[in-house]
Amino acid sequence: MGEANSKAVRIVVLGGGTAGWMSAAALARLLGPKARVELVESEDIGIVGVGEATLPHIRGFVERLGIDEARFMAATHATYKLGIDFRDFGRIGESYIHPFGSFGEELAGVPFHHYWLELHRQGLADDIGAYSLGVMAAKANRFQPPATDQSLAGTYGYAYQFDATLFGPFMRDFARGLGVKRTEGRVTHVERDATSGNVTELVLESGERIGGDLFVDCSGFRSLLLGDALGEGWEDWSHWLPCDRAAALPCEHVTEEIQPYTTATAMPAGWRWRIPLQHRVGNGYVFASDFVSEDEACAAILGAVEGKPLADPRVLRFTAGRRKRSWQNNVIAVGLASGFLEPLESTSIYLAQMAITYLIELFPDAAHGGAIDPRDRDEFNRLVDMEYDRVRDFLILHYHATTRDDSEFWNHVRTYQVPDTLADKLELWKRAGRIAKYADGLFYDASWIAVYIGQGLLPETHDARTQLPDPAQTSRAMDAFHAAVAQEVAAMPGHREYLLREAARLAPVPEGLAA
Amino acid sequence: MSAPRELLRSVVVAGGGLTGVLAALALRRALPATQITVISMPQNAAAFADRAANALPYAHRFLERLGLPEDRIVLQAGGSHRLMTRYFGWSGEGSAAAFPYGAITDPALLTGFVRDWGGGRRGANVQTPPGSVAEMLADAGRYQPGLPGVEHALRWHPASLRDLAIGMAASLGVQHIQGRIGAVRLDAQGIAAGFLVEGAGEIAADLFVDCTGPAASLLAQMPGAERIDWSASLPVREVFFGKPGQPVLALEDRVSLTPAGWLHQMPGRDGLQRTLGVARTANEQSVVAALGGEPVDRAAFVPGRASAAWLGNVVALGDAAAVFEPLMGLNADFALRQIDLLLELLPGHDIVRDIFPGERDEYNRRTALLAGNVRDLLGAHYCSAAAQSLFGPIAVSDTLELAVDQFTRRGRTPFFEESPLLEQERASLFSALGLPRGRGSLPAVDDTDSAREFAGRMRAVLQAAPPYPQWMAGVLQHAREAQS
Repeated sequence: MGEANSKAVRIVVLGGGTAGWMSAAALARLLGPKARVELVESEDIGIVGVGEATLPHIRGFVERLGIDEARFMAATHATYKLGIDFRDFGRIGESYIHPFGSFGEELAGVPFHHYWLELHRQGLADDIGAYSLGVMAAKANRFQPPATDQSLAGTYGYAYQFDATLFGPFMRDFARGLGVKRTEGRVTHVERDATSGNVTELVLESGERIGGDLFVDCSGFRSLLLGDALGEGWEDWSHWLPCDRAAALPCEHVTEEIQPYTTATAMPAGWRWRIPLQHRVGNGYVFASDFVSEDEACAAILGAVEGKPLADPRVLRFTAGRRKRSWQNNVIAVGLASGFLEPLESTSIYLAQMAITYLIELFPDAAHGGAIDPRDRDEFNRLVDMEYDRVRDFLILHYHATTRDDSEFWNHVRTYQVPDTLADKLELWKRAGRIAKYADGLFYDASWIAVYIGQGLLPETHDARTQLPDPAQTSRAMDAFHAAVAQEVAAMPGHREYLLREAARLAPVPEGLAA
Repeated sequence: MSAPRELLRSVVVAGGGLTGVLAALALRRALPATQITVISMPQNAAAFADRAANALPYAHRFLERLGLPEDRIVLQAGGSHRLMTRYFGWSGEGSAAAFPYGAITDPALLTGFVRDWGGGRRGANVQTPPGSVAEMLADAGRYQPGLPGVEHALRWHPASLRDLAIGMAASLGVQHIQGRIGAVRLDAQGIAAGFLVEGAGEIAADLFVDCTGPAASLLAQMPGAERIDWSASLPVREVFFGKPGQPVLALEDRVSLTPAGWLHQMPGRDGLQRTLGVARTANEQSVVAALGGEPVDRAAFVPGRASAAWLGNVVALGDAAAVFEPLMGLNADFALRQIDLLLELLPGHDIVRDIFPGERDEYNRRTALLAGNVRDLLGAHYCSAAAQSLFGPIAVSDTLELAVDQFTRRGRTPFFEESPLLEQERASLFSALGLPRGRGSLPAVDDTDSAREFAGRMRAVLQAAPPYPQWMAGVLQHAREAQS
């Protein structure tokens, strides 16, 4: 025991928001005796805590930490999420769901969407969402976990919508149960080694000094260690992603049913989210302050929510971009301290989770020399950059693929020049209806297809082979697929019903759900 | 509104070796109304994909899509099964280590960590199971296809597989002419309007598929054709082929470091095949000693790839796109993956007007990634101390350096796009090649229980599997009876 402790890497996590407690919990749980985790936070500093919608990867995080899903969902008032309903993005009045799942089935080696494009041209195709179980289940407000096999019932995934102000504390309690030490205090000074430049100690307002081997910067937008102390450069993406504020506003439920999906509705100078939880609905207007004032944005969100507001609008400020390197010296930034991408595709918690994953994979423990190997740091930065860059391009697509010309904001995003990496993908789609393939990072073929087609960006051409089968036959096959989807959906319980059933396993029924 | 592309009207496949014939068959299945013509010509000795007698597990799944399922290859093309390759001498004299296929079969033995978190693609901190199923089966000589969790590669008799594919292609209406390729005639846009073919005049087509082997007779004539040389990365310049031995039915191949170079021994129903990739220090005596007799054939080559395998309306496949030593079954694997990629990105008739380079760019981007992975997997064979003392040092690419460094220090196998191997397979390969695996970050967990459970299940698999020769004899007997 004594020996294990002496070899343990002393990790100091700065910041007690979502990223901070996720980091502390995962590092303590998974590294065990290899690490001694301490977290410094100040009650005076609020947390952002609006990342209420997640991606399916969060389930792996919860499961890996050995947390029971039902208990976790009850504690965070969580609901299930099958995708995001995007409204008014491509054109006002149009909407589509980007599901955690696929569309149709390929035929003779040609992807489904080419046949869909062909039948659509002939006026024989339904909305492409009609061929996706994830989409149709969401639209019907139904939910059950997917099958784990290759059948139709296994063609979708799910995530959670939860109360982020409860998720952080849930992770905190979990982490503290694992022996993570919490220190209250505000950092006034960062002590660095004169030779290596490494951070050695955090000096708190009280004069207390917190020493460590490794510092995980979860201080949010302030980026106190990586940004301020180490001066790591910033790659600014606000030209492409001009939204720099969010006005958050929770409200009451007005409908009986709880939607198993998040809604993102385009606004004149950004978009607003609607995230149904068990006990309330989270709302927020993500806007660009160059195009709309804070007051106007707050008024807009107050006017847009359907239920009774539960608070005054709270405004958050941010800039899209990321640190040039997320790991520098012995400081690793996780979450907003490392970069920011607006929550249009619910990627914030995913990006924090991946950074934690990579940190653990590349952890400088005693078995790996105890010191940080620059090659591991480079590898971490390569992976984190890849994650950010892929998400960035996909987000830009949501703005750029539009015909909207009703505001200055939409004129700007519609007409700007996109990054080359996205321009190549767009060109391949526009000309030939093909998706540039990659298998690492986030967002594969189905996601791109959902947004391209959903936002009305149809390609000029599609695969010639779609003309080979008899159109009547293709049409019948597509109808049969649609019918099979409808049958699966009909067999699913309602979302609220499923939530109640799950919650019943843990008495008492959470108050938000009780009728 | 999106409009369908016009179908290709005609495709010419230059090269009648295995690559060309399979490409023609694949194109015929994808484009039943398009005129498809194969031009065959004498083969180059270093057309390793064309003379390949084996590939990776991907190959038989792809061949099945072409209408060549595994059972047909077993019955009509001398097919047999390989579960693993055993490498001898890579960790020093007397060492032996297995490189099996497939992901680790017992999910409980994986560190579920990254599998769960990253969606299953990344293979970081993978652990080796206590005894691989493939190795146990190979050691026991027991196997039949379809055992749960066991992955295999297929070996075949190349000429028979080619004949089988030719028969199928011909019955589906693929045309065939013979003749050497002459000069190209380019149109104003740099698109190949036609190629002269000795004895047949100019042959025109919408799309030309170059399967002419290392000479890349079509691609090399296109504007912008360039070659990337891999000489610094891969040390072998010549391969010798031994006289085939007695037929052997075995589930493993063997690759050994000998004083002359690497020796690949591949069992097969038409005889044990021996291939020797020679080190610069090899001499006649050491070659004869390694092969157990005089070589019957040899092939010299310079490793490298086309910087762009698709130029204008000419797409190079297999040996015409990349030349590398015949190890691991990668040559046929590479060629088949390229055919697959061409099918995925199949252009329309508009290619003759060269109006849209997007598919070509995407094809070239992904082929370059695939080829880079091939170069690195082969390069890994020359990274251990034992291999380097024989072959000398090599230039290590950034990606190979990353892969080896992360594996040896941290037990990680970073994900690479377009890799022919799964991350876990790469980990097994590196271990077998004498690159010691580093420790992962996660503390060791007590897996006694799951290991015991795994061993129990493996005993059941072993008992369920018949001796492999017995299974094979039964299959062949059954086919003979069905025929008569």
